[in-house]
Amino acid sequence: MPYVPNTDEDRREMLREIGAKSFDDLIVGIPRELRTEGDLDVPGPLSELELTRHMQHLAAMNRVPDDVVSFLGGGIYDHATAAAVGHITGLPHFYTAYTPYQAEVSQGTLQAIYEFQSLITRLTGFDVANASLYDGATAGAEAVLMATAISRRKRVLVSSTANPALRSVLRTYLMATDLELVEIPMDSGVTDVAALEAKLENAGAVLIQHPNFFGLLEPVDRIGGIVRESGAPLVASVDPVSLALLKPPSEYGATIAIGEAQSLGVAVAFGGPLLGFIAAGRKHARRMPGRIIGATSDAEGRRGYVMTLQTREQHIRREKATSNICTNQGLVALAATVQMSLLGRAGLSELALQVAAKTRYAAEQLSLVRGIKLKFGGAFFREFVIELPFEAGTAKEALSEVGIWPGIKCGCYYDDMPNCLLVSVTERHSREDIDSLVSGLEAIIVSRGA
Amino acid sequence: MSGAAERQKTVVEPTIFELSSPGRRGYRFPPLDVPPIDPVEVFGENQVRSVEPDFPELTEPEVVRHFTRLAEMNHHVDRGFYPLGSCTMKYNPKVNEDVAQLPGFTRLHPEADATDSQGALALMHDLAKHLAAISGMDQVSLQPPAGASGELTGMLIVRAYHTDKGNPRSKVIVPDSAHGTNPASLTLAGYEAVEIKSDSSGRVDVDELRRIVDSETAAIMITNPNTLGVFESRISEIIEIVHGVGGLVYMDGANLNALMGIVRPGDIGFDLMHFNLHKTFSSPHGGGGPGSGPVGVTNRLADYLPYPVIARDEARSRGIEYYLDYERPKSIGKVHGVYGNFLVMVKAYSYILTLGPAGLRRAAENALLNANYLQHKLEGHYELPYKDYCQHEFVLSASRQKEHGVKALDVAKRLLDFGVHAPTVYFPLIVSEALMIEPTESESKRSLDHFISVMIDIARESEFTPEVVKGAPSRTPVGRLDEVRASKDLDVSWRRG
Repeated sequence: MPYVPNTDEDRREMLREIGAKSFDDLIVGIPRELRTEGDLDVPGPLSELELTRHMQHLAAMNRVPDDVVSFLGGGIYDHATAAAVGHITGLPHFYTAYTPYQAEVSQGTLQAIYEFQSLITRLTGFDVANASLYDGATAGAEAVLMATAISRRKRVLVSSTANPALRSVLRTYLMATDLELVEIPMDSGVTDVAALEAKLENAGAVLIQHPNFFGLLEPVDRIGGIVRESGAPLVASVDPVSLALLKPPSEYGATIAIGEAQSLGVAVAFGGPLLGFIAAGRKHARRMPGRIIGATSDAEGRRGYVMTLQTREQHIRREKATSNICTNQGLVALAATVQMSLLGRAGLSELALQVAAKTRYAAEQLSLVRGIKLKFGGAFFREFVIELPFEAGTAKEALSEVGIWPGIKCGCYYDDMPNCLLVSVTERHSREDIDSLVSGLEAIIVSRGA
Repeated sequence: MSGAAERQKTVVEPTIFELSSPGRRGYRFPPLDVPPIDPVEVFGENQVRSVEPDFPELTEPEVVRHFTRLAEMNHHVDRGFYPLGSCTMKYNPKVNEDVAQLPGFTRLHPEADATDSQGALALMHDLAKHLAAISGMDQVSLQPPAGASGELTGMLIVRAYHTDKGNPRSKVIVPDSAHGTNPASLTLAGYEAVEIKSDSSGRVDVDELRRIVDSETAAIMITNPNTLGVFESRISEIIEIVHGVGGLVYMDGANLNALMGIVRPGDIGFDLMHFNLHKTFSSPHGGGGPGSGPVGVTNRLADYLPYPVIARDEARSRGIEYYLDYERPKSIGKVHGVYGNFLVMVKAYSYILTLGPAGLRRAAENALLNANYLQHKLEGHYELPYKDYCQHEFVLSASRQKEHGVKALDVAKRLLDFGVHAPTVYFPLIVSEALMIEPTESESKRSLDHFISVMIDIARESEFTPEVVKGAPSRTPVGRLDEVRASKDLDVSWRRG
């Protein structure tokens, strides 16, 4: 057993010291009839070589970009990560460390998270961000709970243009509460503002996503204005890359900003681990869920960092805590912090501009194909919806055979969009990649005579 | 050398923002190969931000040095002992890290068709099966991204089950030795926490339990072995009492490392439980995440598990063997945006396969042996409130040291000076001046002996030079930090000036 240092001789000696005759003496507190007979029904043991071979075999059963040209997105994006990121997150000092409860020997983790928080506040325009949450979807649910704790009202309005995964998780989180969840319909791909306005009276929280699930920019000024007037806190789910270019949520009346920061240096990895974030104004800091790192000093005036406002948290407050969250996504937040530091001010803007330019190019080229329509008008960022003359799955399957994944079938999430695909573009896509998508779809449409 | 003098050698690392110089860049993109856009024209003036986010500007070597210097301020498992009770800081095998970096895993998009993700689905399916085999549960969902999320998932399953039977019920019982996440999670699931006291042996007071259960008892949450490192030896009675009123019995699996191959919770009557892959199954803690908190249930609760379920069709009737089953009308829904923390699952799966059945049992046995060895060697020097053989961890009290003005926190901080991480302190709440120690199976006898000698030295210091212990740590990059100030003058984001 390569991971257990005690030899049989060590074991005998330790048992002797303890005064036990055998290991069985140590488990005298476990009634005999409760003990497991025989071996567990699991495979192994495997040597490192056998394990690696097996894992390579499993990994090879998955198809990934480079085997295919993929336009899958929908909240999780295959951006390039700077090489240095993996080298930093691969330092055992970071990845084998525990939660920084003992601040004096965890300053590295604590300062890195403080810098993560500082970067998130710069993106969102708020004063306070926490140390991260599991993902954008659970961040949305936590933010809604926080918002209703602020408003003390029970009706939660969520736009149907918000990511379907976020809405699913929100439904689960609200299932056991006395909060009522109301979905606001869409109009031309964005939140139906009139429908929202009609439901606003006495609302306890409003959640929108901007840019929304279809990549469309929401009319945030109008939404922010009417929601603010109603007194309901506005939760804005935002894409951190878009915030290099777009107005921060603090400027259009949001009370809380949340989002998924996987796009900043984190692998798509079959959807996990991801990286949720949450930010809000200072006056709401004490209602925020999860861990928050603060700067302070030691007795000699040396600057240092600690987990702060811990009286909100479950290990102190137990059933009265703001959330049950114990951990954050420490190592993932570190990856994003390193990636954001490497991108820097100019790199972040260039990333967003490249994504915007390539998305626009892809949409324009696709819209020139006879039979393909852009489903919605209006400005979009990083993804857009096209409508085909036939069921989208047909195109997806046919293109998959030539190594192109054209996007996500909108029909999986919206019943009235069976012929639609959500096409997502990153800086990784070359013009040739995009052109191959255009010609691939054109060929299928022609071959079907549609 | 005084603490201050020793520490003068260490230089405080500036924030990344203070290291920034205008015009520097750490990453370059390929030239744009499509027409550029003007954001104001494309998005409209009212949508565009007026100033760029104030991000730092550095080159790659500057960024790498900054984070490497930060790294060096951390204690970590690869450097030294981490006797943190209830956290199971075992060694994180390197091969697990390597296989989790295979591009076939890291670049797999969750929206890829099942035909294109059979490897990942097979791995998840089999990991769930192995966790079921280890725990005696019938079905396992890997979706909860952390232990606390697993607890919430479990409590929502309890609620869905009772609701299905006509009444969600209102109360969940938790022992006073429970982790804080237990009461917080059950509250989020709409239940009222009913605390039950421990008896003089540190176990659930069974007579008291008999008195407080009723038709409103939805469940009891039990950590077994509990946070005192004691096996609930009357667990069968506890389960019978709760089942007797129609309630369910939930196991917090935080301490499952003590049971692998020795006891299967499903066999002894637990209805559901969560696992911590980042504790028992060796995936690294990452400085506080990502974790993974799968939930296992018996068949009668299987319909309520989060969707999608990873299903297997051996006949391959749809051309594929593994698929995502969303047709789960009684499911509580999703608890994570996707399928959970997949890369953490990869590491746990690798660990189980590397150890195999005998290795898993051997890990548990050595975790128990190491804990009992430490307990035996330290009980003469520190108060041991519960004297039975322990399981994988035990709790000391610094009550003797307190007579000299030295608190549990001081002992913990002094340990840092000797290159050992502190134990969990002031938990469980039912032991005053608690020092909760869990060595795990990863430590050698030599490493344990070193810890013992350091602990004995600190006990001696507490008696003869208590001011040294109270002033600790003196050899760490910073001294004790002012937490009151941190909370009062809240500074959570760096600002210029």
